Amino acid sequence: MSSFTKSAQQWASFARSWFLIDARLQPPGKIASMCSVRLQGKHKPIYHALSDCGDHVVIFNTRHIAFSGNKWEQKVYSSHTGYPGGFKQVTAAQLHHKDPIAIIKLAVYGMLPKNLHRRTMMQRLHLFPDDVIPEDILHNLTEELPQPRVIPKKLNEYSQEEIDAFPVLWTPPKDYRMK
Amino acid sequence: MVFLTLSCWIRNRGPDRYWKVQELLKNARHFRGRKNRCYSLAVRAVRRAFVYSTKARKAKRHCMRQLWISRIAAASREHGMKYPALILNLVKTNVQVNRRILSELAITEPRTFLSLAALAKARREEGFRAALGDGKEPPGVYSRIVQSH
Repeated sequence: MSSFTKSAQQWASFARSWFLIDARLQPPGKIASMCSVRLQGKHKPIYHALSDCGDHVVIFNTRHIAFSGNKWEQKVYSSHTGYPGGFKQVTAAQLHHKDPIAIIKLAVYGMLPKNLHRRTMMQRLHLFPDDVIPEDILHNLTEELPQPRVIPKKLNEYSQEEIDAFPVLWTPPKDYRMK
Repeated sequence: MVFLTLSCWIRNRGPDRYWKVQELLKNARHFRGRKNRCYSLAVRAVRRAFVYSTKARKAKRHCMRQLWISRIAAASREHGMKYPALILNLVKTNVQVNRRILSELAITEPRTFLSLAALAKARREEGFRAALGDGKEPPGVYSRIVQSH
């Protein structure tokens, strides 16, 4: 009998959790792949494409994302207005300057399955350009996801002891002229 | 009340063509548009539908396997393993549980699944240790992996 009642116990199996991601100095693609899994609910063993078991994802600091390589200048976002001569192309830097949440939004949108659920899943994605998040969303948050990339420390953030303790590979001669 | 057998008891049950049409339209009653009532349209649609259902019987197996795999992948990531590593090490430890049962275990018996994942993880560590040998690189080979462990 107990097993019969236990099988009916599914407390909060279908509850939606709210994940928080800090996008500061993170690659947009990695952030987007973490999001798309959770928006679809593919991180749950009860996943089914039609059961609508996706979670909410809140991303903040999207203004401070970090592209690697030459993507800011050479990654191109294309669109067409539908009118003749309406083909628009902007680089990632221009798009980011115009709308600081657009790059992450487009990356997630492209990683979700191309079906009628895509718009619904996008509605569960909450993007904030800075670290200001409205109170009603802050109350819902359940878990913060670790950042995919370790933020490198700047030279001016190291103390003098740490710099002195760093192993020196080569001691320059006294008359060496640093460039 | 609907008497389905009543029409069978009648001695003269109308022309053969009527019954042939009804037999076919029976399969098309849920179709959209005129396909569910006009014979000449329904006959092609029913034929197509039967072809689809024949193909779907095979495709269903494929789809279900995909679903099990995505569920097992989700459950194994909860325990810090990726799907290929889990399956490979379960095969190596000779655990003969198929993907359907594994996905059902992940949903209804999470602790059983956890123990299987722990088993696979232990086998994986064992394999890594065996691959590294006694912690020394073979003669004439400098390996960064051995050095870092």
